Parts: sequence; C-alpha cells; structure tokens
Amino acid sequence: MSHPIPQPSFKARAEAALADRTLKLAIDRTTGTAEAKRAAAVAAFPEFDAARRRGRAIKDHVIAHLDHYLEQFERNATAAGAKVHWARTDAEARAIVTRICLDADAKLVTRAKSMLGEEIGLPHALADAGIERVETDLAEHIIQLAGEAPSHIIWPAMHRTREQVAELFRAGHQPPPAAEDPATMVQSARRALRAKFLGADIGISGANFLVADTGATCTVTNEGNAELTTTPPRIHIVTAGIEKIVPSTAHAFALLRLLVRSATGGELTQYTTFHCGPKRPGDADGPEEMHIVLVDNGRTRMLGDEFREMLRCIRCGACMNHCVVYRQIGGHAYGGTYPGPMGSVLTPVLDGLAGSRDLPNACTLNGRCEEVCPVGIPLPTLLRAWRSRSWREGLEPGTLRAGLGVWAMLARRPALYRLASRIGVRALRLFGRGGWIARLPLAGGWTRYRDMPRPPGRTFMDQYRRTRAQKGGRR
Amino acid sequence: MTARDDILGAIRAARATPARTAEAIAAEAASLLDAPETTRPGLAPAAGDLADAFARKAGALGTTIEHLPDIAAIPAALRRYLDTHGLPASLAVQPAAEFAGLDWGGVAIHRDLAPDEPAALGLALCGIAESGSLVVHSGPDAPVLLSFLPLHHIVVLRVDTLLPHLEDYAALMAKQASPRNAILITGPSGTTDIEGSYVRGAHGPGFLHVILTRSTD
Repeated sequence: MSHPIPQPSFKARAEAALADRTLKLAIDRTTGTAEAKRAAAVAAFPEFDAARRRGRAIKDHVIAHLDHYLEQFERNATAAGAKVHWARTDAEARAIVTRICLDADAKLVTRAKSMLGEEIGLPHALADAGIERVETDLAEHIIQLAGEAPSHIIWPAMHRTREQVAELFRAGHQPPPAAEDPATMVQSARRALRAKFLGADIGISGANFLVADTGATCTVTNEGNAELTTTPPRIHIVTAGIEKIVPSTAHAFALLRLLVRSATGGELTQYTTFHCGPKRPGDADGPEEMHIVLVDNGRTRMLGDEFREMLRCIRCGACMNHCVVYRQIGGHAYGGTYPGPMGSVLTPVLDGLAGSRDLPNACTLNGRCEEVCPVGIPLPTLLRAWRSRSWREGLEPGTLRAGLGVWAMLARRPALYRLASRIGVRALRLFGRGGWIARLPLAGGWTRYRDMPRPPGRTFMDQYRRTRAQKGGRR
Repeated sequence: MTARDDILGAIRAARATPARTAEAIAAEAASLLDAPETTRPGLAPAAGDLADAFARKAGALGTTIEHLPDIAAIPAALRRYLDTHGLPASLAVQPAAEFAGLDWGGVAIHRDLAPDEPAALGLALCGIAESGSLVVHSGPDAPVLLSFLPLHHIVVLRVDTLLPHLEDYAALMAKQASPRNAILITGPSGTTDIEGSYVRGAHGPGFLHVILTRSTD
C-alpha cells in the first residue's frame, strides 16, 4: 500500500484536528466560500437536475462498457503517437513512471496536480529515484514547501491560513514575498516557478477525462499550470484512473458543466485542454513523447461489488465541502489520499477495511453529500455498506458487539425495551441543567464538544399514548 | 498475462450481462446526447447576437472586450492597450498568416517568447458564447505557450467564428483531425488556493483582452 493508514488512530487524529482552532478557521474560510459559490452556480443553471441525470447516465454507460472504451481509447491514443501503458496496481504505476523518467535521464520533473498521482504515491517514488519534483499547482506548491499531503481534492492546501502560507513562502522563495496578502503571494509563486516550468525534462499531469474516440486526455485548471507543465518538457506523462473514460468530446463537455459548477462554482475552468499525442511535425512547441498510464488499482474490483456506483465519481469535492464531519476535522484526519465522504468510501477499497473501518463510521448520514453529488452517488448507502461489511468481517471491537447484542436483546422484547427507556430518560434528566446536559459519565466523547439536549420526562411511546388518548377523548 | 489482459479480463469477468456490439454501444452513447438544450444553460440574451452573449459571459469573468471593424485597425488598438497598461511598445505576435501584412507602426513585434513576456497577441480559432470561451488549437503557426507565458494575453476573435454552445464546438472538432492541443480559454488565469480568495495571474496571463472583429480582411 502506498498510503498505509498513518499512526496514531483516526480517533486521535480527529481529536487533534478538533483541538486546532487555526485549522478550523482555515477550513471554514474556504468551504464557506465554496458552498456559497456552488449554490449560486446551481441556482443560475435551472437545467442542473436534468444535466445531473444525463451525467449519471453517461458515467453508467461508460462503466458498463469500460473494456470497449479503454480499447478504443488505446487505439486512438496510439494512432495519435502516444504510448499507452497499463498498471494493475499503484506499485506498477509508480514503476512505469519512474522507469520512463530514469530512461530519459530526467533530473527535473514538473507536475500538475493529480489526485491519481497522489493515490499511487508518485511524489515519494520520484524522490526515491533521486528525481527533483516541482509541484506547479499553487496549493500543491504550498504543501510541497510544508512537506505535507493534500487535505482536499480541489484545494489541497485548504488547511493552511494565509499567515501560514506567508511563512512558508518567506522561507521558500528567493526573494521572499513583500506582503502577506494572497495577491502578493501568488505573484511570488509565479516568479519562483517560472524557471522550473521551462527547465523541466518531463512534465507529469493527470486527466479529468480520457476521450475514447480521439485518444485525447483532458486537463482542467484555473491557473494555467497544466499547459506550462505539459508543453515545454521533452516528455509528457499522463497518469489516469481507468474510470476517467468518456465516449467523445461532447460527453466530456456534458460532465464538465457539472464538474466545474460543483467544484468551484464556475461554469468552466479558465483552461480546459485536450492533449492528443505528442507534438506534430512542424508544431511550434509541445513534447516529443507522450505516455499515458492507465491505472486500475482496485477499480475493476469495485465493478463487481456494491461500490460500483463510486466509479461514477468525477472528483469535484462538493461532498466534502458540504460534510459536517469534514468541516470539523479537515482532510488530514481521514488519513487516506481522498478525504470526506467520497474518501471514506474509497480509502477502504485502496488501503483495506481493517485499517480504515473508522472512516465509514465517522459520518452522521445526514445525506448532504448525496444531495450535492453531481452524478448522484448514494454516498450514505455506500458508507453503510462498509459498516455492514466491517460487522460481517468481525472488524468491530468487542465492546461494540457486546453493546449491540444487549440492545438487540432488548429490542426484541418490547415491554422490556420500554421499561429500559423509561429508566434511561429519567436517569438522563438527573444530569441536565436547564434544557441541556453538559457532562455525562461514559459519554465524555460527546459532551466534550457539544451539549446534549435534556430529554423530556417521558419516553416517546409514553407521550404518544397520552396524546392519542387525549385526542380520542375529544373526538 | 500482461497488465492490460488482466485489467480487461477483470472488467469482462465483472459484467453481469453479455457484451454488446460496438454499433449498439455507439448508438446508446449517441442517445445520451439527445436534446442537449435540456441540460445546458441558455444564452443571454436569449435570441440576440452571439457577440453580445459572448461579451457578457467573458466580461463577467474579467476578460476585457474591444470591438474593431477589421483586422487593419488592430495595431492602433494595441498601441492604446500597451499605453493604458504602462507596457513598453513591444509585443510577441503569433506567426499567423492573418497578422502577416499588418503595419505595426511604433510597436516592435517579435516571435520568440520570453519566460516573463509582458504581452502577446494571438488569434482564436473560434469562440463559444455559452461560456465566453476562446478556442485555440496548437500548430506550426500557433505555439501553445503564447497563451500561457505572457502577463497580458490579447486575442483576436472573428465574430463570424462564434458558436452558441460547447456541443457546437465538439461537432466542429469531430469533423477534423485533433491537434496536439485544443485549448478552451475562459477568462484570465486565476487561483483560489489561498483561503478561497480569488487572485488573478497565478501562472498564466493575469489579463485577457479580446478584440472582436467583423472580419480578418
């Protein structure tokens, strides 16, 4: 596994994140804006629901005919002069990319942000091979300076405040930026990366889409860093998951309308670029070689199980921007490449359920992720599927199994259950002050971060019976 | 077994129903694009001029727009633009045939792009009104970096090349061989990577100026 779940445990990471007030501030600043902008973009696009149904149908069609489209893509990309590679696992993908770099005697590699690259552990693989890697996306540049992993799939440096970014740039840029405002810092990064773009031996990008009928790969960026990464070097390498296929450019556009609105609230990213093979004879610029690495890494396994619908994901990040848990703990606490709701479904696929069974549990099932998902992935259902599997595989701890056993015993005996509930609510009332319970023995994990409402003196069933009797009396 | 065989084999093994013919798959793929008007934004103004619709969209993204009668009026407009922005009277110009015979007056033009090129002039293949996008294809007379290295990117767009929607551009693409790069440019380069606040000129041009002309004669 390229990303073993780091120690300490999820619970310890979440607690550390909750205690970090700067982190909360940073997350709130970006997710708040993202949520508002997405809502405005959807409100300005009355066709959004119909577009979402179309997007979902396109992804389902591709997933049903993945072999057909991959072969068609390979044929057309090869005809355009690209070399197509296939990787079963993250390790195979790393080996292919590293081999291309070493064969080309590459010293400096520029990279345009790709979550697939993170998933397969490319940054470490290049470092291990002694190749200098320069991240060109501004957020990736920030976290490269900080020596961190991305905490969000659209805004990888979301966990960093502007003050922290300024500190990193003062240490990492020559000359350091003159001020702490975002505009000055963006200019500083522009200056710092310019020579790297033009001096790189190889440029590596991901792909938002692989277009089957042309063999082109498609990147979307707002900064223009992808084209500056893929054009000057002698070699362009693309790493992409096999689910990124679309039948044609028109299908890609149908999905782009959903992707960009859901991700940033824009209508199209500033630069939407199709890359079809290497430089053509006579072309003014462009790479001499183009390599495309098609990566499986668990995706074909998902085809055959209950997580198949997750292959629809177009990586917009809306689910995490709208997740109450993500917005409290941020992306790093999840411990995998992909955070938030979509990450909690994918991480057990990629890293194994045994080490990540806490992730599907760290969810309130409020359903906001499914509501905003542009391709209608039933994320809460998939998270529940992981919970069931974790139970079936005996991964849940003994205390939980015993507790649920007691509850199941009571639930099957209604009279006993009601008696226990009556005792329970009366006992809980003893801990309340006013309308709230601020401290509760054995439930410190709950009351440390929020108060619990003090229950009324009677159980629901008692109140229901009483109300019914009153109504019946009036009739 | 190669990785390719294994991956394709695993996909086929996961299939619950028999594989369909390429024709049946293509027919279903085409049907997924039926009635495009039901899933795309309308143009504003709805039935008006495409140039108006384009200018509104592009303008909202921070692109500046200038209308010129013809391509011969470009050099004078460029001098004004460079003056207004306090830039030297020097410009990188795309080696396009359309620009070949122009009298540049006092502006020194060049082909080679400096790493920190202040301003460059290019020609769009077409424009898309729905999104306010410019389309650029790479080629012998169209370097990709011309659209990315300069701080000021000035683009000539012929009104008669404007297309209403993204699908219209996809249809145009389907009729010709793909270039190495087909690029849709929708506003100046920007980023929201620091606390979500929007800053222009991240790596690409911080300024995008579109010259709309009625013809290239």
